[in-house]
Amino acid sequence: MSKLSNVWVFSDIASRLPEVIAGGVELGEKVSAFVIGSEDEIAKAYSLGATHVYYLGEKDTSKIIEDYAETMAHAISNGDTNTLMLLGATKRGKALAAKLGVQLNAGVINDASEVTVADGVTAKHMVYGGLAIGEEKIVSPVAIVTIGNGVFEAGEADSSKTGEAVSVSFIEPKAAIKCIERRAKQGESVDLGKAKRVIAIGSGIGKQENLQMAADLGAALDAELGCSRPIAETEKWMERERYIGVSGVMLKPELYLALGISGQIQHMVGALGSQTILAVNKDKNAPIFQYADYGIVGDLNKVVPALISAFKG
Amino acid sequence: MKIITCYKLVPEEQDIAVKADGVLDTSKAAPKINQFDLNAVEAAVEIKSLVDECKITALSVGGKALDNPKARKDILSRGPDDLTVVVDEKFEQTLPHQTARVLAAAAQKTGFDLIVCGDGSGDLYAQQVGMQLGELLAVATINAVSKIVSAEAGKVTVERSLDDEVEVLEITLPAVISVSADINEPSIPSMKTILAAGKKPVTKLAAEEIDLAEIPALVESVSVLAPKQAERKQIIIDGDDEDQVAEFAEHLRKALK
Repeated sequence: MSKLSNVWVFSDIASRLPEVIAGGVELGEKVSAFVIGSEDEIAKAYSLGATHVYYLGEKDTSKIIEDYAETMAHAISNGDTNTLMLLGATKRGKALAAKLGVQLNAGVINDASEVTVADGVTAKHMVYGGLAIGEEKIVSPVAIVTIGNGVFEAGEADSSKTGEAVSVSFIEPKAAIKCIERRAKQGESVDLGKAKRVIAIGSGIGKQENLQMAADLGAALDAELGCSRPIAETEKWMERERYIGVSGVMLKPELYLALGISGQIQHMVGALGSQTILAVNKDKNAPIFQYADYGIVGDLNKVVPALISAFKG
Repeated sequence: MKIITCYKLVPEEQDIAVKADGVLDTSKAAPKINQFDLNAVEAAVEIKSLVDECKITALSVGGKALDNPKARKDILSRGPDDLTVVVDEKFEQTLPHQTARVLAAAAQKTGFDLIVCGDGSGDLYAQQVGMQLGELLAVATINAVSKIVSAEAGKVTVERSLDDEVEVLEITLPAVISVSADINEPSIPSMKTILAAGKKPVTKLAAEEIDLAEIPALVESVSVLAPKQAERKQIIIDGDDEDQVAEFAEHLRKALK
């Protein structure tokens, strides 16, 4: 893979900066990082592999991150003609990407799962709710890509790498938005996407009372509970955040155990990232068994209680 | 206040089939209003209820699916007062930077104080159109709007839910906002609103009727393919007697390690 002479990087969230810089190091000879914040953050960007830091000043609570789009666009347009700007695929990252895309007449790809540089920048991202991967090629001189979690492996910080930051003066945005209040987010509800073990419940569970049995098995296996779309949307037996598949949660657990899930592709796309797939279903011909590592054709009311007693403390 | 709410018709995802070569078959998937855009329509209706005088125009660009009377009635039954569609064969499979430019030209023709968009579309999910539209129109624009706090002539106040915090933003109109999927629960049209929808005005514009500059080539689609699937062991136990369940439990035990 060839490299660009310079890749610009920015992350609105400190924890995503190492990955974004790692992406810059992989795709560019030079890595120019935009930094908003303290002196420490300049040092951190250098230690992670940035070769140049463009300093946008201290955090200013009266501004929103998107107010810096004009400032960043100006700096980028003064640099190399053919270049790439990498951002974390956060809400702010995507808002900035779109604004920069218009201001720099640049192609934008969000949520990239893979980025390559050949004659132009190509990236892959999930489309049709995960049924497929779309590959797109940016043909404009400047390319803007927001990257998902874990696309590039964060490098080790090396504090011997230092440098001077270039101060960039702020350019007032054309249409500013006033931030009148900022507050920390309330505690997160379940994040199934990060669970290591997931039990998925489908219509085969039969009745709502049987959810208790699945919950007991979940407790015995230390697994989170998820479900198919009908269980969340039609029956409303479980919360929307728990439904797996197209327009729902995409799982990446070590273990996925399906109880009474038929295995429609729209559900399975959310489960196929699992390391091991197990399934219990009374229908021998259910598609779920085609995707399973281990399956048992049987009655949930028999199999699940037996599993609970086998795994209980 | 004049509100435009943008929507896209996308194939019903539950009816998309994956062919053996990984190509998606959307031939049996009827066009429907993108789920995320229903949140935008609902938010527009909510804003309308907060201001004295307000009209909502639904706006879409696309191919011939937009000519379907049922699809037109569907969007109008959800609250907009009228509908504008920009229909052209070449808008059949537009990429986000193209869609944003066509919408911008159409919005300039119809006029607006506020444009409300969804988070993204169920097909490409590029999550760019709303933000790019605002930027092309050179007005205030923001995404991830999770709550409408207040609305009055010339100004809306919204909450924006981000990964680490919530921002409360005061936005001077004209503006374009993109709302998140959890901002509201789109209401289901009633028989009354469905019947009334048939009487609401529809304006159909051809590509030549909007002032559309040449769209730059920025992005090209290379492929859309179902991902390759991992090989699975496919050890299936056919029956649930005690020994068989024990055998399954043993596989489960190994998988837990």
